[in-house]
Amino acid sequence: MTPKTEAGTGAMETGKEQGLTLAEVRRNLQGVKGKKYWRSIDELAGTPEFEAAVLREFPDAAQEWVDPVSRRGFLKLMGASMAMAGLAGCTKQPDEPIYPYVKAPEDLILGKPMYFATAYPFASGSVPLLVKSDAFRPIKVDGNPDHPYNRGTSDPYTQGTLLDLYDPDRAQETTYRGDNREWTEFMMTWREKLIAAKANGGADIAILSTTVASPTLARQWKEAQALYPKAKFVQYDPVNRDTVRTVLGTKDVQYSLTGADVILSLDADFLSGSSFPGFHRLTREYSERRKLASGPEGATMNRLYTVESSTTTTGLKAEHRLALRPSEIPAFTAALAAALGVSAPVPSYGWTDAQTQYLKAVAADLKANAGKCVVIAGEQQDPSVLSLALRINEALGNYGKTVSFTDAINPMPTVQLAELKGLVNDLWSGKVDWLLMLNTNPVYDAPADLNFVDAMRRAKTTVHLGKHADETGSITDWQIPASHYLESWSDARSYDGVASVVQPLIDPLYKSHSAHEIVQAMLDESTKTPYDAVRETWQPLLAKSTDGKTADFEMNWRKALHAGWIDGSALPTAATATVAAINAPAPNSKDAIEVQFRPDPTIYDGRFANVGWLQELPKPVSSLSWDNAALMNEALMVRSGLAEQDIVEITVNGRAVKAPVLVLPGLPDNTITAYLGYGREAAGRVGSGTGYNAALIRTSETMAVAAGASLKKTDGIWGFAVTKSHYQDHRSKFFGGEGTGNNSLEADEALTRGIIREATLGEYKANPGFANEGETHPKVEREITLFPNWDYSTGNAWGMSIDLNSCTGCNACIVSCYAENNIAVVGKQEVRIGRNMQWLRIDAYFEGDLSAPKAHFQPMACQHCENAPCEQVCPVGATVHTPEGLNTMVYNRCVGTRYCSNNCPYKVRRFNFLLFSDYETESLKLMRNPDVTVRSRGVMEKCSYCVQRIQEAKITADKENRPIRDGEIVTACEQACPASAITFGNLNDKGSRVRKLHDNERSYAVLADQNTRPRTLYLAAVTNPNPALEPVVEEHAPTAG
Amino acid sequence: MATKEFITNDPRLDPVTGELRVIAPGQSFRSVTAKIADIVLTPHTSLGWLLLLAVSGSAATMLLVAVTWLFLKGVGIWAITQPVAWGFAIVNFVWWIGIGHAGTLISAILLLFKQGWRNSINRFAEAMTIFAVVCAGLFPLIHVGRPWLAYWLFPYPNTMNVWPQFRSPLLWDVFAVSTYATISVVFWYVGLVPDFGTMRDRAKSKFAQYIYGMLSLGWRGNVKHWMRYETASLLLAGLATPLVLSVHTVISFDFAVAILPGWHTTIFPPYFVAGAVYSGFAMVLSLAIPLRKVFHLEGLVTDRHIDNMGKVMLATGGIVAYGYGMEVFMAWYSASHWEFFMMWNRMFGPMGWSYWVLISCNIAIPLTTLWVRKWRTNLTFMFVMSLIVNTGMWFERFVIVVTSLYRDFLPSSWGTYRATKWDYMTYAGTFGLFLTLFLLFVRFVPMIPMHEIKMMLPSAKVKTAVEAGD
Repeated sequence: MTPKTEAGTGAMETGKEQGLTLAEVRRNLQGVKGKKYWRSIDELAGTPEFEAAVLREFPDAAQEWVDPVSRRGFLKLMGASMAMAGLAGCTKQPDEPIYPYVKAPEDLILGKPMYFATAYPFASGSVPLLVKSDAFRPIKVDGNPDHPYNRGTSDPYTQGTLLDLYDPDRAQETTYRGDNREWTEFMMTWREKLIAAKANGGADIAILSTTVASPTLARQWKEAQALYPKAKFVQYDPVNRDTVRTVLGTKDVQYSLTGADVILSLDADFLSGSSFPGFHRLTREYSERRKLASGPEGATMNRLYTVESSTTTTGLKAEHRLALRPSEIPAFTAALAAALGVSAPVPSYGWTDAQTQYLKAVAADLKANAGKCVVIAGEQQDPSVLSLALRINEALGNYGKTVSFTDAINPMPTVQLAELKGLVNDLWSGKVDWLLMLNTNPVYDAPADLNFVDAMRRAKTTVHLGKHADETGSITDWQIPASHYLESWSDARSYDGVASVVQPLIDPLYKSHSAHEIVQAMLDESTKTPYDAVRETWQPLLAKSTDGKTADFEMNWRKALHAGWIDGSALPTAATATVAAINAPAPNSKDAIEVQFRPDPTIYDGRFANVGWLQELPKPVSSLSWDNAALMNEALMVRSGLAEQDIVEITVNGRAVKAPVLVLPGLPDNTITAYLGYGREAAGRVGSGTGYNAALIRTSETMAVAAGASLKKTDGIWGFAVTKSHYQDHRSKFFGGEGTGNNSLEADEALTRGIIREATLGEYKANPGFANEGETHPKVEREITLFPNWDYSTGNAWGMSIDLNSCTGCNACIVSCYAENNIAVVGKQEVRIGRNMQWLRIDAYFEGDLSAPKAHFQPMACQHCENAPCEQVCPVGATVHTPEGLNTMVYNRCVGTRYCSNNCPYKVRRFNFLLFSDYETESLKLMRNPDVTVRSRGVMEKCSYCVQRIQEAKITADKENRPIRDGEIVTACEQACPASAITFGNLNDKGSRVRKLHDNERSYAVLADQNTRPRTLYLAAVTNPNPALEPVVEEHAPTAG
Repeated sequence: MATKEFITNDPRLDPVTGELRVIAPGQSFRSVTAKIADIVLTPHTSLGWLLLLAVSGSAATMLLVAVTWLFLKGVGIWAITQPVAWGFAIVNFVWWIGIGHAGTLISAILLLFKQGWRNSINRFAEAMTIFAVVCAGLFPLIHVGRPWLAYWLFPYPNTMNVWPQFRSPLLWDVFAVSTYATISVVFWYVGLVPDFGTMRDRAKSKFAQYIYGMLSLGWRGNVKHWMRYETASLLLAGLATPLVLSVHTVISFDFAVAILPGWHTTIFPPYFVAGAVYSGFAMVLSLAIPLRKVFHLEGLVTDRHIDNMGKVMLATGGIVAYGYGMEVFMAWYSASHWEFFMMWNRMFGPMGWSYWVLISCNIAIPLTTLWVRKWRTNLTFMFVMSLIVNTGMWFERFVIVVTSLYRDFLPSSWGTYRATKWDYMTYAGTFGLFLTLFLLFVRFVPMIPMHEIKMMLPSAKVKTAVEAGD
């Protein structure tokens, strides 16, 4: 012992020389506990001595280890230095012993969730929500079922915001040039600046914000503007609505598909996800017209035409899809407008016969359905498309019927790009002293030619308010953690113009703040909380009753919070609006390669880059996860001497970016689709380093499309994580193929095997039982089984029906399933080798020639077979049948032989090959659904029909001594589905919706011939093609050129 | 053959009995005992043996490393994935179990059929069986996701009151393999008892005498001992005989009972058994040819043995070929799209190469050449052939397991399979384990049953003939 002590003393002396010993640290921390303890460390952490001590990693450690008493102190300090990264911690309870509730808070019954109405403020319109909260932790985000806009449905982004809240990589501390600071310090500095700027009217202050969704923020800014008339407020999002602003000014257009028999989408991807304004309502209205609820007699359906430049689910759901290069679409629209009697110049262009025929057929169909049709223009298109589309609608008499107008739901509607350019000019000219960036990341996503980083550095003080210390936040002077919408008060309007209060469900997890606070600081009552600010905004409206008399504000406020929207806040609608007449530009020459920039279907503009659920979510159509790609058709790829997974250098606008190549069936030739949002460098542990940054070649002149790109193959192979294999069918006729290699092998097989069954409306009317007739359409045999049938004569028998006619493949169900069932994110490498854990997937099959395919989307989860192959082969009985017909996994019993998965013909079982669930990250623990086991390594898992929800409903019904009502149990996928394609219920209940759907003649079982007798049945799709139009088939010539 | 002229000086015939000679002439009781026992009892351990042990021991250590890492991380270190949830582990399991079959066939069925030639090879063939079963038995235990709970597959009374699920073929496997392992070990050991007695008597060192004394269970060569020994051998042979058929039949049920196209086939039980014997004999050859060379056992393991084993391979290979043919035929004749597609995919899909490797190694090469006796008795040829057949049989299992799984019912979930280094390390490691055990066996246990060889000597036979003549 003695020599060691001596050595220790020596070390201590060394420590003395460097200025801080452990003893001193301990002395400083003596008697300090809890939050204060950490803060003390925080203060210590600021001293150079401490930093030196931490750098040495084991400050004077030697003697500590041999001294049993002080070893604890040493470990304490070690712990502290490890916690340096996130000193704030998120512990809410004190260190001293505390005792559980003797009397619980009035609202809280542990184990019983509460639901709060709120709204997710999104640039394209807020999504009204009902959020499930368990023990005061939000654990599931779903649409507000009472809200007329989305009626309880949601979308992938909205579902993903839950993980965004608990993202462990969120910024936790206010920092100034990398050092931790208090919020109050920032506020003091900010106030000082404001006082100094008062004299010049705030001329040297500029705020750059994401699109403002909050009327309160707009009001606050308006008031601030009055005090600082020269201060600037600029909004910018890489995906914005400048098109609408250019054409309609401060108005928004709203479409209604309920009365639309014919829908024409001009590059409007309104079925893919909420990047398109009104997605939830449009999808619902679209699918409602495809339910064929009244049976074959007099069945009517809408008909969708899509003219598009990328391949989207909107295009693939269309009866007739025409793929045009992005720059051809304005000219096509102009030609269509001319055909429909709108006077607008038509650029001359050499249309092919098929295109001309398509145009004629669409024009005729629209004309025949004047007043009962709608033409929807894409947001990422040239403004002329919207301008012309609206004029077409007007000419067809759709105004006031399927098309209407409101004031913009964005309270500060501006043409963002122009404003951003102005701001950058101001920055360059040195006019801006303070630049505040609110919830925006311009360093990453501003147009490349603006060189925003250098411009930003011209400002003396830069402030970034953001959930993450992202590309922008990591180089600004101040980085302030932004509150998530579930943490702070705000308000927003949904697509239909109705305002909701954004109600927080949880105290900020970290020391975060909202934009309201920063703008409020400019006002006289500088510390007014967002809560008070929001109340102030709605005071005038809520203090009035509907008939204009004064009413109790508090009561109406509570009502608004409870309901999830503010009564009477809807914006006035008008049947017409002034439409700027913008003429279509001529298309680019046919051999110019066009690169179009699109919001990513899963991570949008990059704001969801660190949300593992959305990264892992396979993108619709391409089934690509974890990356974006230079999506092109096979012809272009082959012509450019490329192969899939090659890395190609795309040069356009004098800028270049290296991107991996992936074929997307159905893309027009010479067109590359580039999704934004990837190539992030400071997104966090999940999002950094995925994909490539398409913004590098996106300039302010070419925000939507950049033409004239050149492609150069470079060294290297990318390695995609595509969740679905794509093979071409080279089989000869004898082996069941066409021998051409133009078709997809999977799709050919899916059709041969009767997995996909479809008919046209005419065929359906002529033969309503088409789905269960013929050799490839085997019928379920209910009785043939070796083992005795289960008895369901009493009680419940659960079942599901999925309407393939409604499903648009938007993926909302998958992300909802992630959240509900604590599904693990496995990462790109694991997805690459096929180990993604999604319980539910959407199978996409591309029928016919891959250059112009027809697609079928089929949600596929555990079918809960009555004659389940998995149950029979499990050696330990870990997957068993319940008396209510569920096929249940007993995780505790599973030893992981994976035999069940091999024997599952639907391959819907998912195995924890490694420890996929995150048991370490504290913040993620808060997010998990307490009713669902977090599965460990070596255990099989799969869809359970949300058995926890079934149990909950059963208990409730038991207590109330009644049977479970139809619709009382809603599975997570069903709940999210904007198309109501999924129906769950009791098959024993003769009146239940699912029973009726199972009895529907279109209902069929996938792989019926295997006699698995699944409980999930599919309603065969029925399409409504225009008889005048044969499917547009383009020459498939990958070897051409 | 029947019309062939009887040549008295044919070296393949025993001049005394006129029967086909099994062992070389000129052996006596003493020479046989000395020859076999001295391999074990010599105090000099050859450098070659040590070198081989070092190599195989290293490989076995690699297995230890691979399995340790497996237990630490999970089966995800292997290539298995969705939809191919079984991979190398199951392929290797079936392959090793199959190898074991030859040993049991030689020791049990050939004993019942009174095939005297088996005596020279049955001991080490049986040892091979046991070591192969050890290697095989490892895989089902380690391939499960939670290996620490693998004992749940056994029906044991427990407080949870839960039994295994008896409809699962995997459970049948547990019974089949554990029964097989038990019977094989007992049969092998019982056969060793008289020889251990001999060893005890011949051993010079006290330690060896003590150990062999313990192992010989008090064997004194008493007539009663011999009588009981013969009865026990016969009974055990009777017990083991159905196992030769049943074990691989049950293992084939793992596949045949499943509904997967390519697995769901009624021909699997016979063709699995034939395949097992096929690969087993190949493995016996792979071991016997070097053994007889190294230990100069040409007098005991003669060309006749090699030739006979070649014939068995030819016969079983023929059955296997029939099985493959039937699969292809049924794919067409059944008019089942599933079967047809499966067969097309197996032959011409992305993993089609593995099918053609299997066909060449199992059918094309052996079944065209093994007909020729000259080649059948050519040691180099037979050694290479045995390796080819074992490769082919490994690929047979690979084709069955992987190429059926990677493209099954729903085209959306098709995938692929690419083995990882851990797969290869585990597989190679079981070779190390097998060889290590075998080397230890060769060094410490008489690898040829002395007493059974002695019964075949002319001196034993002549006496019987004289007595019969009296």
